[in-house]
Amino acid sequence: MSSHETFAHAAPLRAAGPARAAARLLASETALTFRRPRHLAMLAVLAVVPVLIGVAVRIAGADGDAGPIIARVAGNGLVLAFASLSAMLPLILPLAVSVVAGDAVAGEASQGTLRYLLTAPAGRGRLLALKYANVLVFCLAACALVAVSALVAGLALFPTGPVTLLSGTTVPYVEGLLRAGLAVLYAAAGMAALGALALAFSTLTENPVGAIAASVVLVVVSQVLAVIPQLSALRPFLLTSWWNAFDGVLRAPMDTGRMGTGLLVFAGYAVVSGAFAWARFTSRDVTS
Amino acid sequence: MRIGTRAVRWGVPVAAVAVVAGIAAAGPVIAAAQGEPSLPRRTAAELLADAAERWQSGRLPQMSGTIVETASLGLPALPAAGGATSPLGLLSGSHQAKVWYGGPDRLRLMVPDEMSESDLVVNGDQVWWWDSAANTATRIKGAPDGAGRPDAVPYAGTVTPRQAAEEALRAAGADTEIAVGEDASVAGRAAYQVVLTPKNAGSLVKEVRLAIDGETLVPLRVQLYAKGTAEPAFEVGFDSVTFTPPAPENFAFTPPPGAKVEESTAPPIARVPHGKDGEVGLDGHDGAAPRVVGDGWDRVVVVSVPKRFEGDVAGAADRAKGGRDGDGVASLANGMLNAATPVSGEWGSGRLIRTKLVTALLTDDGRLLAGAVTPEVLYAAAAAK
Amino acid sequence: MSGATKAGPSGAAAPPHPADHETAYGPGVGAERATAGDAGHAIVTAGLTKRFRGGHVAVDDLHLAVPRGSVFGFLGPNGSGKTTTIRMLLGLVTPTSGRCSVLGEPMPDGVSRALPRVGALVEGPAFYPYMSGEANLRRLDAADPLSDPRTAARRIGEALDRVGLGNAAGKRYRAYSLGMRHRLAIAATLLGPRELLVLDEPTNGLDPQGTREVRALIKEVAADGTTVFVSSHLLSEVEQMCTHVGVMRAGRLVAQGPIAELRAGVAASVRVETPEAGAAAAVLVGLGLTAVSYADGVATAELGDTPPERICAALVGDGVAVRGFAVVRPSLEDVYVRLTGEGFDVES
Repeated sequence: MSSHETFAHAAPLRAAGPARAAARLLASETALTFRRPRHLAMLAVLAVVPVLIGVAVRIAGADGDAGPIIARVAGNGLVLAFASLSAMLPLILPLAVSVVAGDAVAGEASQGTLRYLLTAPAGRGRLLALKYANVLVFCLAACALVAVSALVAGLALFPTGPVTLLSGTTVPYVEGLLRAGLAVLYAAAGMAALGALALAFSTLTENPVGAIAASVVLVVVSQVLAVIPQLSALRPFLLTSWWNAFDGVLRAPMDTGRMGTGLLVFAGYAVVSGAFAWARFTSRDVTS
Repeated sequence: MRIGTRAVRWGVPVAAVAVVAGIAAAGPVIAAAQGEPSLPRRTAAELLADAAERWQSGRLPQMSGTIVETASLGLPALPAAGGATSPLGLLSGSHQAKVWYGGPDRLRLMVPDEMSESDLVVNGDQVWWWDSAANTATRIKGAPDGAGRPDAVPYAGTVTPRQAAEEALRAAGADTEIAVGEDASVAGRAAYQVVLTPKNAGSLVKEVRLAIDGETLVPLRVQLYAKGTAEPAFEVGFDSVTFTPPAPENFAFTPPPGAKVEESTAPPIARVPHGKDGEVGLDGHDGAAPRVVGDGWDRVVVVSVPKRFEGDVAGAADRAKGGRDGDGVASLANGMLNAATPVSGEWGSGRLIRTKLVTALLTDDGRLLAGAVTPEVLYAAAAAK
Repeated sequence: MSGATKAGPSGAAAPPHPADHETAYGPGVGAERATAGDAGHAIVTAGLTKRFRGGHVAVDDLHLAVPRGSVFGFLGPNGSGKTTTIRMLLGLVTPTSGRCSVLGEPMPDGVSRALPRVGALVEGPAFYPYMSGEANLRRLDAADPLSDPRTAARRIGEALDRVGLGNAAGKRYRAYSLGMRHRLAIAATLLGPRELLVLDEPTNGLDPQGTREVRALIKEVAADGTTVFVSSHLLSEVEQMCTHVGVMRAGRLVAQGPIAELRAGVAASVRVETPEAGAAAAVLVGLGLTAVSYADGVATAELGDTPPERICAALVGDGVAVRGFAVVRPSLEDVYVRLTGEGFDVES
């Protein structure tokens, strides 16, 4: 009987509010993500690549087959942020996001910690939602890290000043920074859609490598499909086709139409993947 | 009971797929739902006369919008056909451009590409061509067609609906039946449809449909149907359009600091052979001077093929990777050669490529003949030398 | 321990009666209670069945009733369905059919209401290897939406101290020994005030010292009134700490009830050592005993209700030369062998 009395006493203390409790678990998730040695190594790579691009442009000069946007880096360091996002959005950033999101559920399952989280009880839908929230945080952090690293490298290596947009219009540096911020947000949204997909894969298996590989393979395959001329009709429906539409912020006027469509595509992928992940995760037997 | 709950659970992603697919399809569905607008009846002659008057008077309303060009000519794959700004790039797939029209002397045409764009900016007597990939601003002096018709400035990358409409009307003659078809909805606007049907049996063109905005008489879309097909082989039209004055900064172009500034009398990209009689120069390329023979729907373009890519397919393919005009032609020829069937006749011998809309004949004596015609018309043209 | 049993409100509600153990302990017990969410029981299942994809039936028509306040030993050889049952009780696995309730909440739908009051150790410890023991517990505590973050540090410290890991709290889990890992998993079950502990093979793989410590800890927790549901394939373990027992065999529950009653359910037998075994057997038959058999110098029979002293007197009265006389009470192992026809791994 004493346990009941203790419990009755403890009950008011244990009421922390669902939002607070969710914030606490989210903080635990992000701590787990950002303290994990593997993820830290990945973030370090994300931070180093823009610097490498900057150094390469500085040494090799702006000419050659570097591509139009890289050529502009030499003229203004801020452009390095856009060039880096453009260079890393096809594979490096998706890889990083796949590792985190693909591991989210499958990693816990393979480790056995999933059963303890669920008996804590974290709540299945709640745990999945917070796992996805953590993926969102990671996507934003990864894209922002790339941009910030590029900005710092750009400041150190190249002249700064008003920025020339793709349309030939010149805007002040501060507006350039704001546009870089918008590009980061857009890129993060694109990565978040992939994150939802990888999370759905993650609920399907107890093998995190499988979920990560599935997500990366999907990215590569859809980029291959996009360049096959006979399949050009598929292009608007592929997630990867819309990632680089962040270049809309570099046009005057800003190409909000295309970016808006891109965001809708991202939302579509996220909603379908999320619904699938939810149905799977809340009904599956946890036997690991 | 539990089985039931599980089924309900899986109903959620199924519903999500349905909703997303629905939204993805909503654009076309809404367009189809609005597909039967009814405008006051007008005869083809009235419509064309009114339209022609409006277009020529320069009283077109200020507007801006997105133009989408889609070609499915049934060409062999063109792996090195260049980007959106290459003329040959337009021959397959779908391309987008944006247009801002602020009056007869104020126009901006923008062709976006990934992390780059090209702009044609016309503001009064200033005409700029901006290529962000090359970081080059070219000032074009003296519009070739004379003053007052800035959108006729040859621009290889994109054809505006208005240019295409004029082109179709020019091609129409005694050999064309002109009728008013069912009203259509283009970019959310009710539009008249003028249907041009070639009477000529030698043409591969079934009909050309020209959509004209019911209110402003601005051409909104041109569709070209090949014989025996239900989908247009070529289509250019507005995807979205607003009839409000565009922001003035669209027409203000100053070469950005650090950009190369050049001057030219023609844009750096070659003109697409225009529908004029006689010869049209293919700027900057010796040995390939296209001629147009025949008239109306039966017109055939004849090009002398430079020796360099005859029998040197691999070499041509290598050069084609450069992606620009002459080599683009080489690449096109190259791609076609692979799909060609050998033919011969009184006119000589050569190889024939047939697509839905275009037939091309590469004769063994080094001529390339092409047109939207049946092979017989080409043979006749080849025999005429 | 029996005091703990009586302390729970189970006394009146406990259905088993020793008269006929085949029906009283077997399937059928508590079937109606599962729907009622009986307050007298911490765990009730009715017809609980799990058929995995591929057709394997891991748990078959399970009717379990665990009285509040008891230490319930869930006994059975490896692979007999214990872990699957525990996973269903904790909402990790959805039953194919049947119902189960934990602390009055139907599972798996009532997971969020029941499990904050339940501490669970399922199939061995599992933690993040690159985090310290303390950080691991903090994460589990954060996962419980009802736990109070303000008291987290204190509760985690207490739990670690209780299992003797106070000094190793900051060490990475990777560096823990097997025994320490087990203790950490038990500490995780003690993070809050619990009404029920579900411990799946808590001593599996531990050395004798560790086993003793875990056993002492379980007794300590039970003494506070917490119901403990502990699964094991080790008979001795269950015999030493449990008040109640349920025996699984190939996915079916073959018996359950208080240990004493279960023991009593198997008839004691009488064994007579005598040179005249045949004569002795005749006397035993004459007294109405059953299962009488005799062999060289020994006669045995089931004791039944007959007082042993009467048998003794009858033998002597008939002039049978008795060299030895014994009443043999069955051990739990005998009970188990009788129920399942299987021996126990006495060593793990």
